[in-house]
Amino acid sequence: MKYVFLLAAYFFSMHCAANEIDEQRAKYNYQMFCQGCHTPNGMGGESVPRINGFIGNFLTFPEGREFLVRVPGSAYSPLSNKELAEVLNWMVINFGGDSIPKDFKNYTENEIGALRLKPLNEIDNYRKELLSIIGL
Amino acid sequence: MKFFDDFFENKSRKIAQSSSRRGVLKKLGGAMIGVSAIPLLPVARAAEPVTAKVPQEEGDPASCDYWRYCAVDGYLCECCGGTYNTCPPGTEMSPITWIGTCRNPADGRNYVISYNDCCGKSSCGNCLCMRDEGDRPLYRADKSNDVNWCLGTDSIVYHCSTAVVVGLALDK
Repeated sequence: MKYVFLLAAYFFSMHCAANEIDEQRAKYNYQMFCQGCHTPNGMGGESVPRINGFIGNFLTFPEGREFLVRVPGSAYSPLSNKELAEVLNWMVINFGGDSIPKDFKNYTENEIGALRLKPLNEIDNYRKELLSIIGL
Repeated sequence: MKFFDDFFENKSRKIAQSSSRRGVLKKLGGAMIGVSAIPLLPVARAAEPVTAKVPQEEGDPASCDYWRYCAVDGYLCECCGGTYNTCPPGTEMSPITWIGTCRNPADGRNYVISYNDCCGKSSCGNCLCMRDEGDRPLYRADKSNDVNWCLGTDSIVYHCSTAVVVGLALDK
């Protein structure tokens, strides 16, 4: 019996956590502002970096977490801070797979607002540098 | 049979000793609330049928005024040996695309359209269509039509454009 309650509590907490992301809006914003290059399943291609099964690697250290917001596609997107936080969290959850660190915390609107004021001009070499920090 | 009798007797006695009858009501109530939360899970909502995949459509897909082509800038694959969803033989569909929205007159809803270019043969030349709705200048590169979207393909030579429905747009 105890397990039934635990299970119910688990589902209920999941429901609360997921409430922060409007699935329909996040997916739409991904389609409109990301998917054109990052492709529908986030696999990317050629010079477009792969999100699928990889994005979580950036969330294991502060500069990496900041990088995902400071890249031009994020920082310069026409999305509001709230919508950008939502679509980034949606991408992590939907595409991150095994790469998502266990202690991942959702991006917040304020965090996004501060980080996108420091957009990156050069991203290819900086990305490589960042990945070398974590041995990738 | 005696085993079962003993087993259930012991169990019920244990339960009776360790719980109150009100406690059962409380737990039952809790379970009911818990269960009511389950249908609201994101998983369940994501599993709902996606009507966007097959919208009702009307009109001629070989004509520039067909609803899906509201943002096209190029030759319609429908007139080049392909369809609005597929590339003509001998060409490769670009995975990197221009994305926009068009209003479907059949149901009055807006859909997200992916204009995947077909690449690898010289320009088709049939059914030139330039409606360009939502096209933005080059400084908004991801929403600009005037770049060659044959990216990520073996060849960067443009042949024609498809118009694939990828989802239902969010009405804001």
